Amino acid sequence: MAALIEIDRVSGTLRGADAGRAGLPLLAPEAWHGQADAGLRLPGDAEPEARFAEAPLIAIEFPAFHDGRGLSLAVLLRTRFGFTGELRAIGDVRPDLLHYLVRCGFDTFELAEGVSIDLADPRLVPHLQYYQASVRDPEPAFRRVARGRAA
Amino acid sequence: MLRCDPRNPGTPMYRYDSFDRQFIAERVRHYRAQTERYLAGELSEDEFRHLRLRNGLYVQRLAPMLRVAVPYGTLSSTQLRTLAHIARDYDRGYGHLSTRQNMQFNWPELAEVPDILEALAEVEMHAIQTSGNCIRNVTTDEFSGVAADETLDPRPYCEIIRQWSTSHPEFDWLPRKFKIAVTGAAEDRAAIDVHDIGLRVYRDAAGERLVDFIVGGGLGRTPVIGETIRTGLPMAHLLTYLEAVMRVYNRYGRRDNKYKARIKILVRALTAEGFRAKVDEEWALVRDSASVLTVAEIERVEGYFVPPAWPSVPDATATLAEQRLANPAFGRWVANNVMAHRQPGYAAVVLSTKVTGIPPGDVSDRQMQAVADWADRYGFGEIRISHQQNFVLPDVPQAALFELWQAACREGLGESNVGLLTNIICCPGGDYCSLANAKSIPVAEAIQQRFDDYDYLHDLGPIDLNISGCMNACGHHHVGTIGILGVDKKGEEFYQISIGGHAGHAGQTASIGAIIGPSVSRDEVPDVIGRILDTYVALRAPGETFLATCRRIGTEPFKERIYGRAD
Ligand code: SF4
Repeated sequence: MAALIEIDRVSGTLRGADAGRAGLPLLAPEAWHGQADAGLRLPGDAEPEARFAEAPLIAIEFPAFHDGRGLSLAVLLRTRFGFTGELRAIGDVRPDLLHYLVRCGFDTFELAEGVSIDLADPRLVPHLQYYQASVRDPEPAFRRVARGRAA
Repeated sequence: MLRCDPRNPGTPMYRYDSFDRQFIAERVRHYRAQTERYLAGELSEDEFRHLRLRNGLYVQRLAPMLRVAVPYGTLSSTQLRTLAHIARDYDRGYGHLSTRQNMQFNWPELAEVPDILEALAEVEMHAIQTSGNCIRNVTTDEFSGVAADETLDPRPYCEIIRQWSTSHPEFDWLPRKFKIAVTGAAEDRAAIDVHDIGLRVYRDAAGERLVDFIVGGGLGRTPVIGETIRTGLPMAHLLTYLEAVMRVYNRYGRRDNKYKARIKILVRALTAEGFRAKVDEEWALVRDSASVLTVAEIERVEGYFVPPAWPSVPDATATLAEQRLANPAFGRWVANNVMAHRQPGYAAVVLSTKVTGIPPGDVSDRQMQAVADWADRYGFGEIRISHQQNFVLPDVPQAALFELWQAACREGLGESNVGLLTNIICCPGGDYCSLANAKSIPVAEAIQQRFDDYDYLHDLGPIDLNISGCMNACGHHHVGTIGILGVDKKGEEFYQISIGGHAGHAGQTASIGAIIGPSVSRDEVPDVIGRILDTYVALRAPGETFLATCRRIGTEPFKERIYGRAD
């Protein structure tokens, strides 16, 4: 069983997730009809639908860690369809890329088989602040912080 | 002579604030840890490959290659001195100016790259996103801010895009690399028609800043001229519209075949109309987001690029004319390498790296040092790198040109060939690049050797000769008026030659060159070029350029004369 990590939405810190949630069954969109006791499993190229917003859990699959489609899908679910439930990254999920996933609105991460993680490792949070707006920081730096001026 | 504070306070270019400094420092620390974990065997080859690529490090044929970002081709003299120091201490004493206005080092040690990045960070530079399937260094007109034909200085928008695209949460893992070019002048010197996104920025009659979007252009295996999908967009929407384009591409661009993964293939598959419809639909939903640029932000960044207070200098036209007359070699250099400046009494100068026997774009640490010194002595401490792989000094008083020319000649940077056949754009090719089908540098050298008579070169007039060592087209061969492409024929190096391409500068429309016949061996290339030129000279109308002749008569007459038949 691959490790499941979660992010504390408020503090942004990562920690091991509770095993109960990991057990929720995941269904394909055709098989999911609004059940509260099952999550949805979407490939990165899925078209998001309004009804998905009701799901308790959506898992987006990354066939390879360098396939960024799941990032856009996550952004759409969060910002356009108002999905507030748990958004989980599954598949080829690697520690060095968690910061992208976090910023696109994922809150749990099932690491790729055989990949271990040291939650105290600073590489999980390479930057304290980023330039752009993201799901986590809806305002870009130029609205968020006082930037420098030309001399 | 003007201002030469070593930290260049008067240089009109972007300077890091504490936010930028912290970001770059964090990035270096992060990459150092990743390198250490890789060297300790804790990070897989594949994972490290993607991570090092986003930090500019390729593994080449002979050694790693580090590509340092020179944002939109602008450097301060301090930065160029640091590059000279890196060339000296971490490389073999030289660097390479790339066709994307960056500087490449061919011999760094993988383990030392974090130290190099740290040295770069000290002078506000980095190597972020200079490779990998992400948004690359934005390129622009090398005469931005000084060109007489400019309507809006593109550099502030390049910088805004640089910041927006750096470690973007959603768009750092694209189907393929992504290149954006911006121009703000009447003449397009940034080749915006052959980029993934080309932007034209300008002001309308009311003074409002606007931008046009061209998408889906590109070279490589399938050369395409881009399609205009949006005109007159208010600048406030620069980032929201970019976001919409990138999201459509990230979601629908092909990932099953790397040769079909560029945005041009998606635009073609959807048609320009279909692509625009999808982008507009997406944009409608993000256009009012927090990413809309504020006037304060636009003006903040523009503030860095305010032109220097060019001191008024005595009119040197008469002296210059005398110097040109007395010294024809200098006269030729002024005619070819010196460009009009918007400020009377000043000129922009191109220092050509295209010297026979030196790979095009290669510059030694000593030359970098010299160029940095000239930038301080004659200008405002600023240097540009052009996509033709030359240095540009943007603000030189006309009265200093003769002295600068003499110094440039002493340092091997005084060649007068800008715009001429021997100002060859050339990728590193088989000598360095692991993707190459054939060498490109020796071909450039053979051509420069054969055609070294300036009277003849002048008579030929403007010709861009571009060479790529493979289909990736880093040497822009498709848009050369003469293009040379290295191909592999049963394990042997051959060269395919095309004519009539153009990048869209000098008031011409961009076009993709047409292949004139079967590929030839390396030894034959100079002869074939000679026959192409003879054909042009024989068939041109009075005053007609090579490009105009190609466009008027097509390739058939060339084929006939070169291969003895039309096919
Ligand atoms: S065109 Fe090909 S050979 Fe030349 S640098 Fe690019 S990838 Fe290498």
